[in-house]
Amino acid sequence: MVKPVVVLVGADKGGVGKTTVSRTLLDYLAARKIPTRAFDTEWPRGTLKRFHPDITEVVDVTSVPDQMKIFDTLESSSAAVTLIDVRAGIMSSTLNALRNIGFLDAGRKGQLTFALFHILGSSIASLDEIAETSHYLTEAKYFLVKNFINNTSFFEWDQATYNSYFKQFKDAVEITIPQLSEMAYEQVELVAAPFTNFIANKGANGSPANHSFVLRGYVRHWLENVWSEFDRVKLLDVVGVREVSTEGAKPRLMKLAEAAAH
Amino acid sequence: MSILSFDETEESGYDIRPRRDAEAGTGPLYIVCSPRRTVGKTLLARLLAEFYFAHDRPIAAFDLADEGPQLSDYLPDVTTAVELGSMRGQMAFFDRLIGEKHSAKVVDVSHRMFRDFFVIANKIGILEEAIRRGIEPIMLFMIDPDEKSAGAYSILQRWFPEISLLPVRNQSVANGIPYWGAFPNESPIHVALEIPLLTASVKTLVSQPSFSFARFQRTQSIGLPVRLDDELRGFIRRVFRQFCEIETRRMCGDVRGHWSSNP
Repeated sequence: MVKPVVVLVGADKGGVGKTTVSRTLLDYLAARKIPTRAFDTEWPRGTLKRFHPDITEVVDVTSVPDQMKIFDTLESSSAAVTLIDVRAGIMSSTLNALRNIGFLDAGRKGQLTFALFHILGSSIASLDEIAETSHYLTEAKYFLVKNFINNTSFFEWDQATYNSYFKQFKDAVEITIPQLSEMAYEQVELVAAPFTNFIANKGANGSPANHSFVLRGYVRHWLENVWSEFDRVKLLDVVGVREVSTEGAKPRLMKLAEAAAH
Repeated sequence: MSILSFDETEESGYDIRPRRDAEAGTGPLYIVCSPRRTVGKTLLARLLAEFYFAHDRPIAAFDLADEGPQLSDYLPDVTTAVELGSMRGQMAFFDRLIGEKHSAKVVDVSHRMFRDFFVIANKIGILEEAIRRGIEPIMLFMIDPDEKSAGAYSILQRWFPEISLLPVRNQSVANGIPYWGAFPNESPIHVALEIPLLTASVKTLVSQPSFSFARFQRTQSIGLPVRLDDELRGFIRRVFRQFCEIETRRMCGDVRGHWSSNP
């Protein structure tokens, strides 16, 4: 029986791009035809659900019934991957709750695969979060994500300081999300479509659209670089999920752009 | 979400080369460029536009120059000034390049904008998208002895292997430089494009913003001494003949492609 995979995307600070990273992950998995479901913990309105309504449910991760909805259905769900977009500020408490319900132990025992995408803020306080978070992650896959999408400067970190934190956690893997033009990003937000829909000149529900080719080009180029990062860290291998094709990021995204021209 | 493969269209035997103006109503996209200044880019762009005027065919010109005299000084009615510094400027320019299919287009890329233009074009895939929409991009690169030019030419070959890249020799700048070596023409359009030398007097005349090559060609005489009149008419004839050759080679490429898919 295939082990369920749970991917948590979180940060203890708001505005670092957590939901954006969740969206790139959902697009990445969808492009590889990996059945995925998502839980948006921005209860009650949701943020991730705007972009992936068909596979996302808004939940209150602090409530027991919603915790049961997520974790009691891991094995019965048809989704190979369950992604949880954790609301800003509650990552540590969520991990604590997961420890208390035995979820982290299940991961340690190999009953499921647990991966955490920890979106880092640019302040030194973010680096302290790594130390706090790592306590929970003895058998989990730990990805440290520096998100430059809005041209964040991680200038408070000199390399020596960063290394001193980062190198303590030998199994942590660093991922960099590059910058994207603000106008391009905002246009995708306005359309409320997955990045791949925007690139393919489609709207939120997949209907034909008339987006600027320039903006689509910038989003495609950006997403290629993001997916190349996921390929570089062998994300699918790490979470133990298999896809049929080994096509790279660029040809895959170019086909979306080409399809829009026909 | 279905993902069409471009390979599927090739397997069916459909020719992916763009169809001719007459058949598909699409015009080519000429990109006149060089990383160096005063090598004759604006002159070539002007001549191309005037070639289309002379044949009563529509053309739109785009001016990325930021030091004069500029294309917009010579052809104000058909030239749009372009700024690539802002996203809105890029959208206004690049989206229009592929949005308007029915007229030919010529872009005069100044030496200062050379890098920015091609970095953006490479990043967003605009030239490949032009091809998908039936618009044939043709890069006309003004060669010169400086090694920066050879380096830039090589980069364009690497970045845009599917796009026609033609070296252009302005005899007043690059006389004696062979095309092969640093500036090979590996495109299907095998035309050795040259801008002949002009004497100083004629050069001064054609540099006036009010001068039009197409109008001059249509006029019997504008009162020039015979020698200068003959020189200028010979110059225009020689350049326009090369442009005709480019158009013919483009057409031959399309015909060959058509017959290969329709035996």
